[in-house]
Amino acid sequence: MKTLLIGEYREGKLLDSTYELLGFAGQLGAETAMLLVGSDSQLPACGGTLYLADASQCGEYNPDLHKQLILDAVQKENPDYVVFLHSSYGWDLAPRVAAKLRVAQVSEVIGLAEGGFEVGCCNAKMRRTVKPATPKAVITIQAGAFAPQQPGGNPSVQKVTASVMSNVTFTGYEPAEAKDVDLTRAEVIVTAGRGVGKKENVPVIAALAKALGGELGASRPVVDAGWVEHSHQVGTTGQTVSPKLYIACGVSGAIQHLAGMKKSDFIVAINKDKDAPIGEVADVLVVADVLQFVPALTAKL
Amino acid sequence: MLIVVCIKQVPDTTQVQIDPVTNTLVREGIPFIVNPYDTHALEEALRLKDRFGYRVAALSMGPPNAEATLKKALALGVDRAILLSDRVFGGADTLATSNVLAAAIRKLHDEFDRVGLVLCGKQTIDGDTAQVGPGIASRLNFRQLTLVDRIVNLDSVGRKIRVSRKLEGRHEIVETPLPAMLTVVRELNRPRYPKVPLRLAAAEATVEVWNNQVLKLDEQNIGLKGSPTWVSKIFSPERAKGEILGDGIAEPAAATRMLIDRLLSKDLLAL
Ligand SMILES: Cc1cc2nc3c(=O)[nH]c(=O)nc-3n(C[C@H](O)[C@H](O)[C@H](O)COP(=O)(O)OP(=O)(O)OC[C@H]3O[C@@H](n4cnc5c(N)ncnc54)[C@H](O)[C@@H]3O)c2cc1C
Ligand SMILES: Cc1cc2nc3c(=O)[nH]c(=O)nc-3n(C[C@H](O)[C@H](O)[C@H](O)COP(=O)(O)OP(=O)(O)OC[C@H]3O[C@@H](n4cnc5c(N)ncnc54)[C@H](O)[C@@H]3O)c2cc1C
Repeated sequence: MKTLLIGEYREGKLLDSTYELLGFAGQLGAETAMLLVGSDSQLPACGGTLYLADASQCGEYNPDLHKQLILDAVQKENPDYVVFLHSSYGWDLAPRVAAKLRVAQVSEVIGLAEGGFEVGCCNAKMRRTVKPATPKAVITIQAGAFAPQQPGGNPSVQKVTASVMSNVTFTGYEPAEAKDVDLTRAEVIVTAGRGVGKKENVPVIAALAKALGGELGASRPVVDAGWVEHSHQVGTTGQTVSPKLYIACGVSGAIQHLAGMKKSDFIVAINKDKDAPIGEVADVLVVADVLQFVPALTAKL
Repeated sequence: MLIVVCIKQVPDTTQVQIDPVTNTLVREGIPFIVNPYDTHALEEALRLKDRFGYRVAALSMGPPNAEATLKKALALGVDRAILLSDRVFGGADTLATSNVLAAAIRKLHDEFDRVGLVLCGKQTIDGDTAQVGPGIASRLNFRQLTLVDRIVNLDSVGRKIRVSRKLEGRHEIVETPLPAMLTVVRELNRPRYPKVPLRLAAAEATVEVWNNQVLKLDEQNIGLKGSPTWVSKIFSPERAKGEILGDGIAEPAAATRMLIDRLLSKDLLAL
């Protein structure tokens, strides 16, 4: 079995998540080749063929051109699977490639299943097994679902280029509004739920987040009450996050909240109710009053 | 110019339950809603209609009861609402779905008004594949702009559009000639509520139904037969209930110690 992995490079850097593609291929037991629109000063540490296009010429994102580079590599490698990360890059590019190759696509794969792939559905509440029936398939993998694999070594680089007239003109980036926090990138999130009681108590939770080097999250009622900015909200109407550590303080665990955080690697719930539904997804539950427990915890860190 | 909005009727996934015995979705009694992202696509189309006088058509492929979804679109002010419904469309995956939607858009373009924009949600809340919009774009050979959170400018004379795309931690501004297909995120706008006169008019207006005698598609490319993706089973993820650490109420200090030890053992304290 063979995979063509589509590496990711952004703002002059090879993204670490590229190694998650190798983790996926490793689990499949597949041979790999990679295509990267990046730079030869930022090569991934792995063996195998690397089709490398120069981002300074091809643009970090130029969909028609990148699609052509991928199609050219598919022609050479004849892979069973073309694998992207389910990032904004893969989101946009993968279906273009699938449509051009006229093959099935499976989006946001979280695991392997007998004869197919496991993916989330119904707002991540359910899972399903999906099987592509075309000889090739395009896959996107969910961020964080496959442990990164960094085999080391040097790829054998083949420089590639393509000339395609682009129909989309890139005119620039705008930074996200300054007040936006990008919780999706945070490794630690400490969330304040309604259980914190009032706005004046939010700094207690924020202090724990700071002590752990993380970001402050919030449940929806906390945002609706104006205690915390909306950009911190976790859940179906906020952000979907999957940090390494998620600490929910005084959050009951409503399904809309769980949908936004249950893929976190390790979940700690602090709640005075030992039967709060958050316990269903938490790895550990501390039954305590947040206003007593959290400051005590912060003080010990 | 015509703007086509694709809307899907979906079960309200916040209310979806899992049958504990069969471990499958319980469908009975679950209310249907318009896919939330699609309400933002619809709102944007209506804003462009208000501003530039374009016409708007709403399309949905689904069973006969999806008519309710299209009635809502009529109540909000779309000019035409078309339900693509036929037994042979059933069991479609994303590829077969895009084939049917693209064919209907082509028909509107040929017989009604020149299509300049197709608006879709960024994904649905039931299938969540995010493939249908791009599938339509490539079938129609329209430009594709995904994850749009703002239309910066629509130049109807020069026939081009400039949008902001919501990416990780930043926005990308891109411009492309029309016709284009956009998939939209919730930040785009706040959907309106139907006004009474429109709601009354909508009760009168009819949803058109197109079956395959109208679209005349090859049965190899639609429905179950035209679907290369098989969904074999749906189940709920399992996870053991969390372990309770100590007694944080009687002995908070001991509980903090236990939690810190646990985080240390998982290598989670020096991130
Ligand atoms: C369409 C829709 C979208 C939604 N989107 C979101 C979303 O994106 N994000 C979101 O979070 N919610 C969302 N909600 C709301 C969601 O349904 C819940 O109402 C919400 O998550 C509850 O927030 P909470 O857990 O902070 O509050 P509550 O449910 O009120 O829970 C408070 C918890 O704190 C505990 N507690 C109280 N006092 C203390 C104390 N002193 N010490 C320790 N524990 C204490 C209680 O035992 C309880 O478990 C949405 C709802 C709808 C209908
Ligand atoms: C639980 C579940 C799991 C499924 N898994 C898969 C799968 O893995 N692979 C697969 O190929 N199919 C799958 N399907 C079938 C899939 O839902 C249908 O093919 C569907 O018509 C389109 O896919 P989507 O819901 O993922 O839409 P998306 O691609 O996520 O939808 C994006 C946008 O396209 C438009 N759109 C989508 N469907 C319609 C429609 N019927 N009418 C009008 N506009 C529409 C809307 O604007 C929507 O916001 C699944 C269905 C369910 C209910």
